[in-house]
Amino acid sequence: MVLSDLLQNIIGGVTVGATYGLIGLGVVFLWQSIQRINFANISSAMLAAYLFYTFYAQLHLGFLVSFVVSIAIIAAYGLALRYLVLEPINRHGGDKLEFVVATLMLCIFWLSVVKVIYGGIAKPFPPVFGEATSFVQIGSISIPSVYFWIFFVVLVLVFALHMLLQRTMIGKMFRATAQNKEMASLVGINVDMTTSLAFMLATSIVGIAGILLAPIYFVSLDLGGGPIGIKGFAAAVMGGLVDPLGTIAGGITIGLVENFSTLFISSAYKDVISFVVLVVVLIWKPRGIFNWTTKGD
Amino acid sequence: MRRNLKRIVYGAFFGLILVLPLLSRNEYVLFVMNKALLNIIVASGLVFLTGFAGQISLGQVGFVAIGAYTSGLVTTRLGMPIPIGIVAGIALSVIVGLVVAIPSFKLKAFFLSLVTIAFGQIIYLLLVNLTAVTGGSQGLFNIPPMKLSGTPFTNTLYYYLFLVLVALVILLMYRLKYSYIGRQMFAVNDDDVAAEACAINSRKTKVFAFGLSAGLAGLSGALTAHMVGFLTPDPFTFFDSANFVAMAVVGGLRQLSGGVVGGFALTWLPELLRLKISGFENYYLLVNSVIVLLVLVFLPSGLGASLSKGLSRLWGEKQGAVTLHNSKSKEGE
Repeated sequence: MVLSDLLQNIIGGVTVGATYGLIGLGVVFLWQSIQRINFANISSAMLAAYLFYTFYAQLHLGFLVSFVVSIAIIAAYGLALRYLVLEPINRHGGDKLEFVVATLMLCIFWLSVVKVIYGGIAKPFPPVFGEATSFVQIGSISIPSVYFWIFFVVLVLVFALHMLLQRTMIGKMFRATAQNKEMASLVGINVDMTTSLAFMLATSIVGIAGILLAPIYFVSLDLGGGPIGIKGFAAAVMGGLVDPLGTIAGGITIGLVENFSTLFISSAYKDVISFVVLVVVLIWKPRGIFNWTTKGD
Repeated sequence: MRRNLKRIVYGAFFGLILVLPLLSRNEYVLFVMNKALLNIIVASGLVFLTGFAGQISLGQVGFVAIGAYTSGLVTTRLGMPIPIGIVAGIALSVIVGLVVAIPSFKLKAFFLSLVTIAFGQIIYLLLVNLTAVTGGSQGLFNIPPMKLSGTPFTNTLYYYLFLVLVALVILLMYRLKYSYIGRQMFAVNDDDVAAEACAINSRKTKVFAFGLSAGLAGLSGALTAHMVGFLTPDPFTFFDSANFVAMAVVGGLRQLSGGVVGGFALTWLPELLRLKISGFENYYLLVNSVIVLLVLVFLPSGLGASLSKGLSRLWGEKQGAVTLHNSKSKEGE
């Protein structure tokens, strides 16, 4: 009984945590390319979920089409973010702080746009990942079938990203730009292109995370601000803002901490405890605890 | 002639501020004015913390909440007089601010902002969940209003009280900016290693900046509690913190007027957009965020800077004679 409870919480924590990791990846990719933090990172998740809802449940476009179209729009939004927010701020002499506040305002902007268009009431997510009530029974553990989907998609995505970054020329260019912009452009890498790529990758990965989280959180304004976004930041920090795999590991840690504090303490304080963990990690190891990319100082 | 113009404009401005409650008997206008004054106190604290000392706080609303709830609880549950409640609120905010300052020794920019976000969220969640103490989402009621010889303060009286306090805060910040403390802060902001090499204790200045801004936020919170009379966790979310930082940045981080201009503008903007005549009453938050975004993009040094530039052009003064300003802001590292 106790063991099955434990296992159940581990599975739930790992699955939800993996999506926090995906949200963290959005932060990491932008940090790597422009050394700025996009506080509207989580808005991509909400926008993708609402777009998917529109295409799938309202326009009946079919799962794959809706998915691809929503993610494509979100990727285009990433480009718009670069050319309509970051570049103008840079051009007018704004610094990091201006970008921070601008993206915070962007976050509020998207929340109010969604509120105006869709209303504040959460929409039920269409059962594309199986009915909400369908569980897979393994021994005494019952796992919602959604979790398998989430796990599968995260696994595929992480593998694809790993291959892209480590095995292809684009990945090499991307990593080179992250390490040193001037040097990269000296050896003929198109830094402008890799920056755009980073924006598109960041927003679309967070978008996918949003669609994956929607069956759990519903298609709601919760996806667009507050605790989930901060957990994404926490995941990114645990990976030291450099390591993609470390970010996923960080997300999973946050998910586990959250689930176990629900199990042992109280569900009301699960967010408090995850934030305390975040602060402790930041103070104790500012370089991240799952940072396997940069060693030492 | 030009000098006279300057005197006339400033005289008219301050005169208008002083007689405003007499001109308008509209309680709503006065209430929003009071809110603006309270926000100016918080935003000025943030200008001090972020603009002068270079430390970012995205959890400032946590300090406001501590001040508000402490004062509210001390006066309702313990039955203490209001001044003691306010002092207790400020004191607790300052103490917590000093603790929050500790991570700033090691962490910078984004990482520090995450710590402060987490702090603000923790305070918010505690407000919601510690139902026995804070009343949870039901709120804390019957907080006594301030009284003048037995009768509760009207909005007009609050207005003058807050006006005096804002003036004192600005005077304090002005004195600090041009004192050795302010100069140390600018030095730490530019380069804390170099500042340390000049025998400036960077930790001490950071702790001082956090303590002061937390104290101002606490003061504002405590005053809000007594003016409004009840407290719920609603106005203490992450987005309210973001709003305070937006006030400081929109107003301009590099001058004292920043907090005043930003606090005033960003309190009135959503209220004006809410009015029927603006035509935006259904999406005032949307339009509000767009306007703030545009100001940030096109006037990164803030409304306050543009305003003082425009004014000094009006009376034909030479600009940038002896001003203390941040070199970092332009170089961008």
